[in-house]
Amino acid sequence: MSVPVIQVGSCLIATLTEEIGDAEALDLQETLNSRIEKSSATGVLLDISVLETIDSFLGRLLNEITLGARLLGAETVVAGMRPAVAMTLVELGLKLDGVRSTLDAERGLALLGQHLNGNSHT
Amino acid sequence: MTIQIDSNQEFMAAQRATISELETPVIEIWDGVLALPIVGTVDTVRAQNMTESLLLKIVETKSEIVILDITGVPIVDTSVSRHLLETISAARLLGAEVLLVGLTARTAMTLVHLGLDLAGVTTRTTMAKGLQLAFARLGLEVVSGRKISAEL
Amino acid sequence: MTIETRLPVKQEQDIVTARQTARAAASQLGFGAIDQSRIATAVSELTRNVIRYATNGAGDIVIREVSSERGVGLQIVVSDEGPGISDVNQVMQDGFTSGHGLGLGLSGTKRLMDEMDLQTEVGIGTVVTIVKWRR
Repeated sequence: MSVPVIQVGSCLIATLTEEIGDAEALDLQETLNSRIEKSSATGVLLDISVLETIDSFLGRLLNEITLGARLLGAETVVAGMRPAVAMTLVELGLKLDGVRSTLDAERGLALLGQHLNGNSHT
Repeated sequence: MTIQIDSNQEFMAAQRATISELETPVIEIWDGVLALPIVGTVDTVRAQNMTESLLLKIVETKSEIVILDITGVPIVDTSVSRHLLETISAARLLGAEVLLVGLTARTAMTLVHLGLDLAGVTTRTTMAKGLQLAFARLGLEVVSGRKISAEL
Repeated sequence: MTIETRLPVKQEQDIVTARQTARAAASQLGFGAIDQSRIATAVSELTRNVIRYATNGAGDIVIREVSSERGVGLQIVVSDEGPGISDVNQVMQDGFTSGHGLGLGLSGTKRLMDEMDLQTEVGIGTVVTIVKWRR
């Protein structure tokens, strides 16, 4: 079951659920890259508000998605990380330094919108 | 004899829980600004409790700025620094910016000597300066106005 | 009735099943949200190691309730039949430094759990036993 990606304005939005396995995650990465290229999207919002587990694989993938999107001209925001997940990630020693985080999807979209208004191309 | 030991353990567990709650107060000092004044030593358990309280408060208040005050922390060594950095990273993952305040010249020297990477951590020496920065981030200004005396 | 579940670890979906089962068991035993997350993440790491690095990518996982003077705990045993790890410390160090591979999962798991025991023999297999005690 692949993760659905929707487009709102020049933003691509994907909601990750707990059932996301390695294959679905890699598939999402490919889909996003291809959709960013095709639509010239400038923002990617990854809604992880219902995600209860992020391990080293998914953590690294979030980093990679961010880097890949940036190379294609889009900024990525990860929204809605749960406290338990954040604590576990940090204890795991994973650095998600390159990933921009917001408390919720609303703020994430606002942040991506700001980028659009402020700088048209980074 | 067994019953005596069990009830002591329960009592101690309850005491620990109370101490935990008291020692990690997270204060909403302004709309969207949380303050976490840390007093005393920071061990792993305390750091975890503190971080958990902080993250839950961030979600509850939707705060975007956290001021972590270490004025009351006597010794900032590798272990304490690591805990602080973890708390800061976790808060960031929830979209909050963390300002570290209360550094002294001695703490700064220690951190430099330890070669710790505090890049990306904004610091100020006092809570007041931290608050000033928080206001600036939020686009707020403190303006002189008419003084209002408190009614006795 | 105490919890004891054995699951196969043979295909990628088993990673998700294993972590969800472990999380449910932890929840049932009264572990808090954060400990549930730690447990689920550790299980994810260990089962992925089996899928990625074990001979035939196969092994199994046992999730069981345990108790001691420390109280109630959740014990998880992940085992496979090869190839075994020749230098565990080096592998964990490398994993930590490189940010990926078998060692990263192991070193991460160690940080998240209260107890971790690793038995391994080259050519025979590996058994990783982890325990988290309820606070």
